[in-house]
Amino acid sequence: MENGLILWALLIIPFLGGFCCFISKVRFIQWIASIVIFSMLVLSGIAVWIIITVGSIEAAHGWLFLDTLSVYHIALLQIVFALASLFGKSYFPVEIAHKAFDPELLPRYGMLWFSALGAMNLVFLSNNIGIMWVGVEATTLLTAFLICIHVTSQSLEAMWKYLIMCSVGVALAFIGTMLVGAAGSNLKAGHSEALLWTFLYQNASNLNPFFMKMAFLFLVVGYGTKVGFAPMHSWLPDAHSQSPAPVSALFSGFLLSTAFYCIMRYLPLVEMATGKQGWAMEILVFFGLFSIMIAASFMVFQRDIKRLLAYSSIEHMGIMALGLGLGDIGTFAALFHILNHSMGKPLCFFSAGKLVQIYGTNSIYKIRNAMKITPVWATGFFLSFLALIGMAPFGVFMSKFQILKAAVSKADYISLIVFLFGCSIVFISALRYMLLVLYGESESHIHPQKAYKRDIFLVAFPMLVLLVLGLYMPEFLENILQKAANIIRGY
Amino acid sequence: MEQLINIMMVVILLTNLLLLGSSRLGTCIPALGFQGILLGLMLPVLLLSPEGISIHTLILVLISIPLRGLLFPWILFRIVKKTNIRREIEPFISYPVSIFLGMLALVLAFWMSSRLAGTPIPSLHPLMLPVAFYTILVGLILIVSRKLAINQVLGYIVLENGMYVLGIAFAGEVHLLLELGVLMDVFVAVFVMSIAIYRISREFSHIDVNQLQNLKD
Repeated sequence: MENGLILWALLIIPFLGGFCCFISKVRFIQWIASIVIFSMLVLSGIAVWIIITVGSIEAAHGWLFLDTLSVYHIALLQIVFALASLFGKSYFPVEIAHKAFDPELLPRYGMLWFSALGAMNLVFLSNNIGIMWVGVEATTLLTAFLICIHVTSQSLEAMWKYLIMCSVGVALAFIGTMLVGAAGSNLKAGHSEALLWTFLYQNASNLNPFFMKMAFLFLVVGYGTKVGFAPMHSWLPDAHSQSPAPVSALFSGFLLSTAFYCIMRYLPLVEMATGKQGWAMEILVFFGLFSIMIAASFMVFQRDIKRLLAYSSIEHMGIMALGLGLGDIGTFAALFHILNHSMGKPLCFFSAGKLVQIYGTNSIYKIRNAMKITPVWATGFFLSFLALIGMAPFGVFMSKFQILKAAVSKADYISLIVFLFGCSIVFISALRYMLLVLYGESESHIHPQKAYKRDIFLVAFPMLVLLVLGLYMPEFLENILQKAANIIRGY
Repeated sequence: MEQLINIMMVVILLTNLLLLGSSRLGTCIPALGFQGILLGLMLPVLLLSPEGISIHTLILVLISIPLRGLLFPWILFRIVKKTNIRREIEPFISYPVSIFLGMLALVLAFWMSSRLAGTPIPSLHPLMLPVAFYTILVGLILIVSRKLAINQVLGYIVLENGMYVLGIAFAGEVHLLLELGVLMDVFVAVFVMSIAIYRISREFSHIDVNQLQNLKD
């Protein structure tokens, strides 16, 4: 029971922090933020430790639940959130100086920022699949206004598309959730446990297969809209390119993975209900490959630096779906890829955001000679993008390689070829811009920027993690990933 | 009692058709509110016959009828007043065609429910599933076919009404906490969307979604 308290703490502290932000004065906000973020980091560390020793914990009569799969996501989320908030401290002061952001609005946006964290934690902590849905919908609503912190016609358009597309998509996921409930109606459960994930997982083989198949279609399309699977991705590049850099980093680094996590939870249920024939996994392979190809083809002619990164996120979500769909070592690789992506992509958005801020344009043709002007962020952009497109020896290379191995061992050569083809298109089109951004001759007269210690940390920390993960996999991480993968595989 | 439920179901179907065929917001919004009230009354009427109304149902009814029947229409009327827009301009799909689509959707809804019939769901009433699917489909048609942002919100509320019926049809009485969570989400969604429309109308001086086309590849 004492262990259960930590679940409550993980859930409540972000909302409490959001409330404190809302009522406090502007100058106290950074103290509140530091306290909340620090305590969340510590708490998630403790949670990981408890889960490693105990296995799984629950609270509130089984409505809150934490196992290896969810604690892995929670820990990553807190790290990404902390990095994004820290970056906010070097991003927003410049915006305020440029009169692009009114500091008086800080309490309001602080509230939305922390409540969004709370809603994401709710998704990971809730055992009831209905409440999980409530959490996902809440993340959409809480983050909508974060997109248009800079009130321009473009950002309002992006916000509206995001709001409508994701609300409708997630509404379809609700139908899927209800269908899962209906699939279990012959189990004679009381209505407090009928929608509990653990209950469904234990009785998965007795769920009605026809209903589960219908449900999974709705769930993949519904939550897939929020993940950014093609062809439901059209909100994603708009939202990512218009929101301020810390918000895009959180979106790409973890909001997409949050929706992906929901699909992960349903995969074993459907597979076990349909007799492990790989029906649901084939659907994921299809969406994965389709997303990779669509993203790759849009990246070739992309001129907006942040849209380029947004399409790269779609590609990476596709890679994760592919890994999950291939199964076996692919499941492990997909989980590992989430870690790599959520280290690399936020850094990429930080650096791109800084470059956009310095040059005052999103156009990749106008950002030139960045190495001279802001060496720290140019290096960050270069290295993180290099890591993301799969350059060895970084972690992304390892997870992509494992997915390749999964495709080979399953003798799925179509996936193998499409995957390799997509990745090489991305590789070439990304490298094409890279050197010009770093060293190209620039005509404008932009002064070299000063680098802070904070900036160096923000670049060095994720890159070091990626480098270490590429060279060597720590034993405890391998254990966690293996256990989480086994949950998805349904062992 | 059976008679009453049948009438309610048919009236819900008719409000959907009215929403599809009407251009005036002054008609659509009250129709939406009326549909919301009917939906709120559905659960108690359905459960009335076996064992009376539980506190659970009572709480739900007391929250959901004012929310769907009064608050949502009020929010929508406020948007109408602030943006000073009375009717849909020129939808992507003309009204006769969208009524025709509505008919097709009705057929589709009955077909979908017939596919699900014979499988073990404790459905409370045979018309419930078709009505749920139909309302969801009408909501989707409204969102896709209309140009005004306010009509998309209207479509979203219709879609959500359908989800509510579907929830009752599939899961029967689910946990109160879950229902309240869903209701809260829907309320916040409508609230956030109305603020968003207000901001859009201030920035663009219109709320025509079709003209929001700055962002492209």
